[in-house]
Amino acid sequence: MILKGKTALVTGGRGGIGRAICARFLREGATVYAADLNEAGSLGAHDEDGTRFVRLDVTSEAAARSAMAQVGADEGKLDILVNAAGIEIEKTIEDTTLEEWNLSFAVNVTGTFLTSKYALPLMRAAAKSGNSASIINFGSYDGFIADPGLAAYCATKGAVHALTRAMACDHGPEGIRVNAICPGYIDTPMLQSFFTGDGSGAGGKPIGELQQAVRDVHPMRTYGTPDDIANLVNWLASDEARYASGQLWVLDGGLSAQVQQMRL
Amino acid sequence: MTGKVAIVTGGGRGIGRAVVTRLVADGYKVVTCGRSTRPDDLGYQVDWVLGNVAKADDAARIVEVAAALGPVALLVNNAGVQVEKTTRDSTDADWDLVIGANCRGVFNMCRAVLPGMETQGGAIVNIGSISGHVADPSMALYNASKAFVHGLTRSIAVDHGPNVRCNAVCPGWIMTEMAEDAFALASDPQAAMKDALARHPVGRMGTPEDIANIVAWLGSDQASYVSGVTFTVDGGMTAASPLNPGLF
Repeated sequence: MILKGKTALVTGGRGGIGRAICARFLREGATVYAADLNEAGSLGAHDEDGTRFVRLDVTSEAAARSAMAQVGADEGKLDILVNAAGIEIEKTIEDTTLEEWNLSFAVNVTGTFLTSKYALPLMRAAAKSGNSASIINFGSYDGFIADPGLAAYCATKGAVHALTRAMACDHGPEGIRVNAICPGYIDTPMLQSFFTGDGSGAGGKPIGELQQAVRDVHPMRTYGTPDDIANLVNWLASDEARYASGQLWVLDGGLSAQVQQMRL
Repeated sequence: MTGKVAIVTGGGRGIGRAVVTRLVADGYKVVTCGRSTRPDDLGYQVDWVLGNVAKADDAARIVEVAAALGPVALLVNNAGVQVEKTTRDSTDADWDLVIGANCRGVFNMCRAVLPGMETQGGAIVNIGSISGHVADPSMALYNASKAFVHGLTRSIAVDHGPNVRCNAVCPGWIMTEMAEDAFALASDPQAAMKDALARHPVGRMGTPEDIANIVAWLGSDQASYVSGVTFTVDGGMTAASPLNPGLF
């Protein structure tokens, strides 16, 4: 129960990774607000899970302001903000429309900006307790190295990495820590869509075969689960991580530690 | 730049030879070295010193031969060896060989050349590797030795400016005799080459001349504001994820 007494808000809170984070925060004793476009989120219908639902389109300034007003009215502070909402357009820049490009940045970058901007007053209030408040953004290993046909996504995640360091510099003196998690391949609806989507490289191969091939490229011989991400988010959110700020935390089963493997 | 003196370690073959050839063409007086006798096809204008950079005395002797020709303007630490083993399987002899050549050798050469270079001015270019950033499997000591080279490069740049610049080049897959042998031994050499090419955004493997090009530039006045960096020249390979679904 290392988050006892803390209040947390998770954007994309009803999605693949967001839901695992909410569940973990609840188990650790936090009051948890799951913010998402709708109650079901990308995973569809779900059982009552103990989180408080906040309707939030992260691209809307009015929505961000109103979500934080709701948390402020109920709790008066916010100790933990997780910016997990994100989308992925699987195209090269040539095939990406301006609308798709703008939407990628609106959700992944502007969403992180707006949610954080309106959370800051509540997070400063939380930091007055003497414990630091913690913002955890979602970058990606794709912010360091590129996956083919994923240009806008890679660019947005690089932007989130730089924004994370900038926010850590600006708000550290106020007792607010800012870090980014950079996941590799995590078993989520987004990944399954990547396996089946056009241009993802599936090339008509059976999904099972493709999944095994993906596992085999990882030093750990598996891709991650949302719980693997929740483990690190939980630590970064807690006071155990009181000296951790401004860092990009890659969590990819060792994938990006290696050079491309030639088939000799 | 006619008449400037350059040292290239391990210039007998491969990348080192291409660097020697380029520097000669650029007008340098070049001294190179190796652990075997002078290669027959080495240009007459190049001085060859039989020596092992892993030994401090040999390194000092190589620098003495060069300094007799004039101030050493450029040192290219290219000599290196690799042992294809994991940490568990590496022996003490493997350690001495890889760390001796790749780490101690670079250190020995830099230490020997720095006193002169600090007063006369000059540049050091170390050959690091993409393997110093990301791991090649079963190349534990080699990978670690190249990370050492990157770290020493930064330290020399920081400690020995402003008269000395120090940078590293990180080659990717360069087609040397060593790489050609590896492809020849593949179970399906054609498929192996096709797969390897697909992993290179520029559509080809590197050549020793590609590395000589960047070494020559880093040694030149064009790079007079460049110090302490590790430049990757790998045809774009490490810009991409090691997981490339298009190649399954």
